[in-house]
Amino acid sequence: MMLENNEQEMHPEESKEKAPTLFSVQLPKTVSFFLWFLFAGNMLYLVTSFNTLPNWNGAILRFNGFSLLIWTTVTFFGGLIGSYASSYLKGFRYHSRFMMLSLGFTTSVMLFVVSEHIVLMLFSWLSMGIFMSRLIGVESDWGEAQEASRFTQRYFLLGTLFLSAALCLLALYSNEMTLSGLINALHLIPFYIKLIAGLLVIAAALVQSAIYPFHRWLLSAMTAPTPASALMHAGFVNGSGILLTLFAALLFASNTLNILFVIGGLTAIIAQFNKLLQVNVKQKLACSTIAQMGFMIMQCGLGFFTAAVTHLILHGFYKAYLFLSSGEAIAHSRPQKPPQIKIGTLQAMIVLIFGVLGAFLFAIWTGKGTQLDSGIFLTLIVAITVGQATYNIGKEKSLSVLQKIVVPPLLFIAGIGTYALMYNGVSIVMTDIPMAAVPMPISMVQMAFGIVFLAGFFIMKLGVYRKIPWLYVKLMNLSQPYKKSILMYKSNS
Amino acid sequence: MNQQHILKSIDEASKIVGKTWPLYSFVTSNPLSGYEKAPFEEALRSAKKHLNARVFPDSSQFRQAWQKKEISKGVLRSMLKEKGFSESPEYYLQLMDSGENTKVKNGNHDLDRIMAKWLAAFMDEGLAEWEMPNKKDGFYRAWRKLATYDGEIGIKDIRQIPETSSQALMQILEDYPEESYPHIFAYHLAALPGWTGYIKYRTESASLWQQEYPIVLEDYLGVRLWIARHLNAFIMPQDLNPQKDDNHIKLQYIWLKAWEKSWQDQLVGVLNEEKIAVKKPQTENDAPEAQLVFCIDTRSEIIRRHVESKGDYETFGYAGFFGIAMDYQNLKDGLTRKSCPPIVNSAYQVSEIPRTNQKNTFKAYERKKEVLRFQEYFLKRMKNMLPSAFGYVEGSGIYYGLSLLARNLIPGYVYALKQKRNTSHENFCQPEIYKTTDKEAHIHQIPLNEKVAIVKSAFDLIGWNHFAPLVIFVGHGSHSANNPFGSSLDCGACAASPGRHNARMLAKIANRRDVRKSLLENHGIDIPDETLFIGAEHNTTTDDIIIFDSEVPDSHQDKLRNLRVDLKRAQETATKDRLQKASNSVSVAQTKANDWADTRPEWGLAKNAGFIVAPRDLTKKINLGGRCFLHSYDWKMDVTGKALEAIMQGPMVVTQWINNHYYFSTVDNATFGGGSKITHNVTGRFGVVQGNGGDLKVGLPLQSVHQSDQEMYHRPVRLSVLIKAPLDRVSEILSRNENLKALLDNEWIYLMVQDPMRGDDIKRYQRNMQWVSTGAISERKEKDHPKVDREVLELITE
Repeated sequence: MMLENNEQEMHPEESKEKAPTLFSVQLPKTVSFFLWFLFAGNMLYLVTSFNTLPNWNGAILRFNGFSLLIWTTVTFFGGLIGSYASSYLKGFRYHSRFMMLSLGFTTSVMLFVVSEHIVLMLFSWLSMGIFMSRLIGVESDWGEAQEASRFTQRYFLLGTLFLSAALCLLALYSNEMTLSGLINALHLIPFYIKLIAGLLVIAAALVQSAIYPFHRWLLSAMTAPTPASALMHAGFVNGSGILLTLFAALLFASNTLNILFVIGGLTAIIAQFNKLLQVNVKQKLACSTIAQMGFMIMQCGLGFFTAAVTHLILHGFYKAYLFLSSGEAIAHSRPQKPPQIKIGTLQAMIVLIFGVLGAFLFAIWTGKGTQLDSGIFLTLIVAITVGQATYNIGKEKSLSVLQKIVVPPLLFIAGIGTYALMYNGVSIVMTDIPMAAVPMPISMVQMAFGIVFLAGFFIMKLGVYRKIPWLYVKLMNLSQPYKKSILMYKSNS
Repeated sequence: MNQQHILKSIDEASKIVGKTWPLYSFVTSNPLSGYEKAPFEEALRSAKKHLNARVFPDSSQFRQAWQKKEISKGVLRSMLKEKGFSESPEYYLQLMDSGENTKVKNGNHDLDRIMAKWLAAFMDEGLAEWEMPNKKDGFYRAWRKLATYDGEIGIKDIRQIPETSSQALMQILEDYPEESYPHIFAYHLAALPGWTGYIKYRTESASLWQQEYPIVLEDYLGVRLWIARHLNAFIMPQDLNPQKDDNHIKLQYIWLKAWEKSWQDQLVGVLNEEKIAVKKPQTENDAPEAQLVFCIDTRSEIIRRHVESKGDYETFGYAGFFGIAMDYQNLKDGLTRKSCPPIVNSAYQVSEIPRTNQKNTFKAYERKKEVLRFQEYFLKRMKNMLPSAFGYVEGSGIYYGLSLLARNLIPGYVYALKQKRNTSHENFCQPEIYKTTDKEAHIHQIPLNEKVAIVKSAFDLIGWNHFAPLVIFVGHGSHSANNPFGSSLDCGACAASPGRHNARMLAKIANRRDVRKSLLENHGIDIPDETLFIGAEHNTTTDDIIIFDSEVPDSHQDKLRNLRVDLKRAQETATKDRLQKASNSVSVAQTKANDWADTRPEWGLAKNAGFIVAPRDLTKKINLGGRCFLHSYDWKMDVTGKALEAIMQGPMVVTQWINNHYYFSTVDNATFGGGSKITHNVTGRFGVVQGNGGDLKVGLPLQSVHQSDQEMYHRPVRLSVLIKAPLDRVSEILSRNENLKALLDNEWIYLMVQDPMRGDDIKRYQRNMQWVSTGAISERKEKDHPKVDREVLELITE
């Protein structure tokens, strides 16, 4: 005997306008399947043609190893987000719209990276932003989401405006309408034009990557469904890395690398501090993204565009994972005191030895830092990271002496090893990009900034910041989302 | 000016907001518990006014129910007519369409936003590495020290801000008449009901965070009103929106009642048919092969049906904390959590001790735990610090990429693998029970008579006097991944913890020789020597039942093996039934248990509508579709009525809470529920906000009560309790318990009694101790009764 007619459950009676149509059920699956299919194709192509990478240039489009790399990456994230969403967004009334926008965004990135004609380039840059802001406001009946969507859209339009101005200026002075045409004609363009254009390209990149002072859009974008945020942080913000790489030659010619280096570096430090005080998991991840993007821009500023591209891919994996698992942040815990930082002489020695070993390994495997140039800076960061890891493991009581000696090298060999593999792969793929990896001579700016960086490291390490209340409030307000995207509306029943 | 008056007014005003529970122990309570003393309709009207909420199902929900024939035409028509509504139901359905919500600009937008900013910063439970400075001083004082740096408020000098919150309130309220205080406070508390509800939770539970970083409603109001004054925001409540057409609410209430009555009629009809059907001759003396005791949870109804059909098994329903009012100290993190209903005070504390011969395993476990803890700390440190954050991302990126693939493509496989490598501490530990004392240093063993009482009350309440060789106490817990609301799927009777430890504890006590001896000598309860009690856990996502068998003697191994085989079969059919899958249902369920993208890993207690207190015989042949709580009870064994009284005071009230929680989360998911999971943003490690921030969300998310954005899954109807017992006994209990009677008189729940003294007639309670006949049989005939009855009946009795 049965109280409920379960058959009704299986085939819910369909009311006319709300019933899920075959289209809306099938579409999300089809889209994500299509993207996975593209990824597989790209990956296969990339692996099989690794030694004979394509390099084809037309008047409108271009396709080379770098295009292939970005296509592989972006279709991976597109497919991944698609299949995640097909389960996560089940029952969401805008599921189909979400998928179409994601597909639109993915296609825009693919188009951008193969655009040779500057009009196409601008168009795809703009459409990236439009699709992303639509994703932020995909819930059209949510007032705050609409506010956030419009707010971010304004930033993206500004970014496109910067880029348009830069490209128009260059095109005007060189009479060229293609990217390679512009790059090849750079020596004909007066320096001040190159400088202005360079600065404009940088500004466009800063907007895209939410670098200070253009960071607020990223902190206001949480009205997007979680998988859209993953796509944003693993895809959209990386646009700047791609843009700067494509215009590497212009940046060298306009001598603006140091600007990139300083802005990127400052952002990396400030955003990392900003991250420390975030109480919402998605805002915390956003601050982390801003910091990582700052670091990527800094790598560009050091002349290592290949390192920046490697970073954007690896950071994409990392951040997509953290967003997609952001529901795991709930935990019952007890209040804890901040850790005390103390270090003995023996420990310091071990930390130093391992740090040097790590740096050595990094230098051999990636070739960075073997000469006295800007690569040293990156090697230094690796050395400190290895040192920090060693220090933390070294002072842990629950580990045995053997573990303390064996674990750190295992970790840094695994870490540096896979990184080097990736970096070298990316470098080979990017050989056709002009000036993708040209280390800069060590400059005063770099030295000075290196000291700032170290100061930031020590302030953080020693926990000095905890004693500066006004800094807390200033940073808190600096990282607040757009006003109108919070508690702006009330329902009236 | 009088501080007492202010405090009293705050207290009074605070009743209009519910309590917000932290998501790590999500208790499904009635969000309108502050209104419970008033009649249902009146309470709802008042909540609607204060919280701007929808309090009845909306027309689209009624329409769904109407189209699925869940609302009987006859019942609805006659109810409408009774109140003077003479048009057709369809007409009124359309009429109700017009009353949809509209969005308006928030008049106190800046004030609300700034408050939410500071509250989130202060109440954080360790998500931020850098916590708000001076938190130890309490919310008001900590805020005061920082307020001058906040350019959004514009206070330049700290001396402009009073030193304490009560001074601040007194200064501001000077300009207002005393009788307006409660209104002012209610208005400001209701502005951010999620956050103020969490302040209520913290003050009432005195959590570790509250002890360290205190915050009270007075602080909140002090800060809020002071900021309000500086921003020139509204302090006096604005004109509340004019109440809509009263007919609207009347209509909605009639529809709701008709929906509830239709369901009750259906239930009564099925039970009456069951009565007519031939009764199975009682063979009390043959004990079955095994007896399994499940929680009263609605999900147990399904698994019990499937277990019973697999062999000679008897099942019982009992509150999932197994009658032990305890806190449980988790071995994993050392934290102590409540493991009994929130309405019960914990008298005991249970923690784990290594079994004899297992000391080394225990030590190894402890060490491993330390290493795991370090791992977590290490990763956090690497991610947070400069510049390791950058090096770390580059070194670990590939591994995150691989994890992305694994979690996306093969979550079910990974889950099955993890389950196989089960190294949980139940294998080498046993629970030990202590008295909860003020000083933790003094741990007392509990005396024999209390142990005996725990066991005896289980037998009394269930109505149980013959024992099988194997008796399994089955708690329940849920597995899901990436789910902030995971604890809402665990056992409600254990305050949102898994019930396994209570089950293990009861089994251990019931196996004690001295306890059994005393039960026999003092209470005449004879447990055969052969009978062995074992703890277990029903995994409600996969319908797997894990038996904690590490201490089972050889003599029982064969029987246990057989039981296991049958439980595996039960898992297969139960998952098929529940997930509506023809094949592979177990692996589908396992995927759900570990799929980070699945926002509906299982349905929890959705669809709950009834609570049946009766022997299992009454419902054994009925497929209740997972909609009923089932408590075993035998009126013949409960001569004094004490057991029934305990059931009505405890489980009945808890089920009402759960039911009300689901009701309100369904009718207004944005206000009383958590909203959609897909845009949730975890805050402070204890809650979620929507999108960029704002108010803390309070209840079950949309995905727990709705099938899709438009279609509900849970049916928002009030709980119908059905008790099989003499009517006089129930009446007596009600007249002794004013609070229970009030709950009924105010229509927060329904009560029906099947009276064995009057030919198993079912009577329905109506205000002031009046009972009316249900007379549902005639009405039932005019409805098209599900045709599948016979098939299902055959399936169950196969």
